[in-house]
Amino acid sequence: MDRRTVLKGLAGAGGLALTGLSAPAIAQGASARTLRFVPQANLANFDPIWGTQYVVRNAAAMVWDTLYGIDSSLQPQRQMVESEEVTDDGTTWTFKLRPGLKFHDGEPVLSKDVVASLSRWAARDPMGLMIKALQQELTAVDDRTFKWVLKQPFPKMLYALAKNNSPCSFIMPERIAQTDPFKQITEYVGSGPMKFAKGEWVPGAKAVFEKFTDYVPRQEKASWLAGGKQILVDRVEWIVMPDPATAAAALQNGEVDWWESPIADLVPVLKKNKNISVDIGDPLGNIGSFRMNHLFAPFNDVRARRAVLMALSQEDYMRAIVGDDTALWKPLPGFFTPGTPLYSEAGGEILKGKRDFDAAKKLLAESGYSGQPVTCLVAQDQPITKAQGDVTADLLKKIGMNVDFVATDWGTVGSRRAQKTPPGQGGWNMFHTWHAGADCINPAPYTAIRANGDKAWFGWPNSPGTEKEVASWFEAKNLDEEKAAIGRLNKAALDDVVYAPTGFFLSYTAWRKNVSGIAKGPLPFFWGVSKSA
Amino acid sequence: MLSYILRRIVATLPVMAIVALFVFSLLYIAPGDPAVVIAGDQASPEDVERIRQSLGLDRPFLVQFGGWVWRILHGDLGTSIFTNLPVSAMIGQRLGPTLSLMIVTLMLTIVVAVPLGVVAAWKAGSLIDRVIMGFAVFGFSLPVFVVGYMLAYIFALELEWLPVQGYTPLTQGFWPWLENLILPAIALGCVYIALVARITRAAMLEVLQQDYIRTAKAKGLGQGGILFIHALKNAAVPIVTVIGIGIALLIGGAVVTESVFAIPGLGRLTIDAILRRDYPVIQGIVLLFSFVYVLVNLMIDVVYTLVDPRIRY
Repeated sequence: MDRRTVLKGLAGAGGLALTGLSAPAIAQGASARTLRFVPQANLANFDPIWGTQYVVRNAAAMVWDTLYGIDSSLQPQRQMVESEEVTDDGTTWTFKLRPGLKFHDGEPVLSKDVVASLSRWAARDPMGLMIKALQQELTAVDDRTFKWVLKQPFPKMLYALAKNNSPCSFIMPERIAQTDPFKQITEYVGSGPMKFAKGEWVPGAKAVFEKFTDYVPRQEKASWLAGGKQILVDRVEWIVMPDPATAAAALQNGEVDWWESPIADLVPVLKKNKNISVDIGDPLGNIGSFRMNHLFAPFNDVRARRAVLMALSQEDYMRAIVGDDTALWKPLPGFFTPGTPLYSEAGGEILKGKRDFDAAKKLLAESGYSGQPVTCLVAQDQPITKAQGDVTADLLKKIGMNVDFVATDWGTVGSRRAQKTPPGQGGWNMFHTWHAGADCINPAPYTAIRANGDKAWFGWPNSPGTEKEVASWFEAKNLDEEKAAIGRLNKAALDDVVYAPTGFFLSYTAWRKNVSGIAKGPLPFFWGVSKSA
Repeated sequence: MLSYILRRIVATLPVMAIVALFVFSLLYIAPGDPAVVIAGDQASPEDVERIRQSLGLDRPFLVQFGGWVWRILHGDLGTSIFTNLPVSAMIGQRLGPTLSLMIVTLMLTIVVAVPLGVVAAWKAGSLIDRVIMGFAVFGFSLPVFVVGYMLAYIFALELEWLPVQGYTPLTQGFWPWLENLILPAIALGCVYIALVARITRAAMLEVLQQDYIRTAKAKGLGQGGILFIHALKNAAVPIVTVIGIGIALLIGGAVVTESVFAIPGLGRLTIDAILRRDYPVIQGIVLLFSFVYVLVNLMIDVVYTLVDPRIRY
């Protein structure tokens, strides 16, 4: 009997026992003005430009505001900005801030703060770097107006300022934003709807956010990072719980109000509890993947990469990750997030239909593969990578590959995957990961789809066809042009196997029924969330 | 005695130095790179290198080690790579919960295990002895997390007597502090209770065969007096030794217990730091643990002289 089995059994028994019971005294005594939230991970640092982890971004979205915010239709909407103008040639953007914006220290938000913040962000963000490369000047015109002058038009400017992908272009006071982007800030002062209680922060255990009473929300209805961010509780306490069974028990017991990411094993237990609601948290979900190293044999030959795709069963991967809940996954014969405007299956035939192991073996032989070990890095401390790694090992063996299965931890994978040395000398042939669907809605935040060789993400794919279509998307002037570019991109990336998509999967979020207003989205939004006694 | 204690304290210095060098070397050669973790998935190799430089991780081993030792000699354990907080402050935040958990577990163990061991020895071979030793084997065999989940299910979910998770500082009241520690202490203490009970029984069995015990019985002394005054005191040396050694068990067990009961202690801090390769934090904690271990051994040696006047240093 392993630890997970025991955990599941006990949590299940607990859930059954609690079904039908009223909220315990602990919950009833707790203040309805404090929302207790179990985040997906530990808030280990709190600089959203320096640290790009999702959990940092999620917390930062409460504390720091952005000039624009992406809404649920994936469109950028004004947030701190009142108005903007762009010249006809598309090179000069002039922005005006809303009146009355204040930082948590009482100081007004001024253009100089925005200029410093955007400069720091642009040094770290892929889209920011693109704008910076085109930048002629970024200056404050007056206290509420600033101007960004470019050498060439950048049509995706507003999307870049609104996007929810990390790092977001959060606005900080100038004195803080002048910090070297490669060093951490030490003050956590923003102009967002909640203040960070630094004195109560215990990294790895607890983080507290308090309502910022001077925040002036927009009048529009809140939609993801856009609209009126109305805070309806006084405090939000993030309680880090590394053990899922403990989080499940705490939610059932009323010791916490909202658990961001319950593991699939425990969801049936939570669903049976009449005091708990369970629903899909992020409709944009995740895309599972493994990357092959394009620098070394056997995967430096596209035939070997295609052979793997021909045998790959996405159902096997998805069931290994999310279990038997078919509502939680779907096949993904492409690279872009299902249900979003740019989703495409062009060129996806290789991932569809019955898996052809004989054809895969034949193609692998044609690539010249002769049984050399394939170094497959698998992080065992991440359930998603572990599940995928086990399936991949089986898949590779089935097509006659000699698998060198390196079971390790995520920290080591993170370091080793950056090695460009041959697999036998500290390098690698494959590693497993996954991408947030929100990062895969278009090529702007989608580092993993880039195929510009040495500058590409780990595995260093070199696919001129893919890169050409990435550029086409950036230049596209309307949605139709964007869709056409993405269709071609999807096909080129699959033809060259930039990476191997293993499927699309969703995850649940769970909260107690005395909490209302939880919105589905790529991150937990705390505005509009209220709690009754 | 005082000079002995001073000598022992001075003797800890080379031990600590060796531990420091060992830990630092181990982390230096261990795979993984905090700069890669910090830089995130989007980072270019240049970004990673820049972060590595800003953290001083690109410097030679001896320079890094020398700098670290120099800072320690000035009472500075360094700054966490990830939180940007002083390591000493982070340890300070986590010391209270771990110390509380260990103290409650230790008290529980002594209160439960020693009488159980004494009774088992007194009734050696009887049903009572077999039941107690059966429990001891059971307690020793059950993993901490299994006991933890079972306790949480019964006493938190089913009976709703105690909270599932968390920690409340003693400053907020004795009962709030204790109620969060009862289940974790029982879970963590199971192995420890089993160990101490077995050692107590074995030590007592040996002592109970001694002539002076027979003499005490012949004099008509009460059973309680014989067991707990005359016999237990003479059996105390191995028991005290095991209690001391067991503190290492507690430190190890605290890692799992703190995770299961979401207690923000040093055990969880250790795991988090290792997974993220937060070198200054790992080094600080290991140094602290090794110092505590050396100190506990010293205390045990001192306690020997109290329970056995024949021992002199």
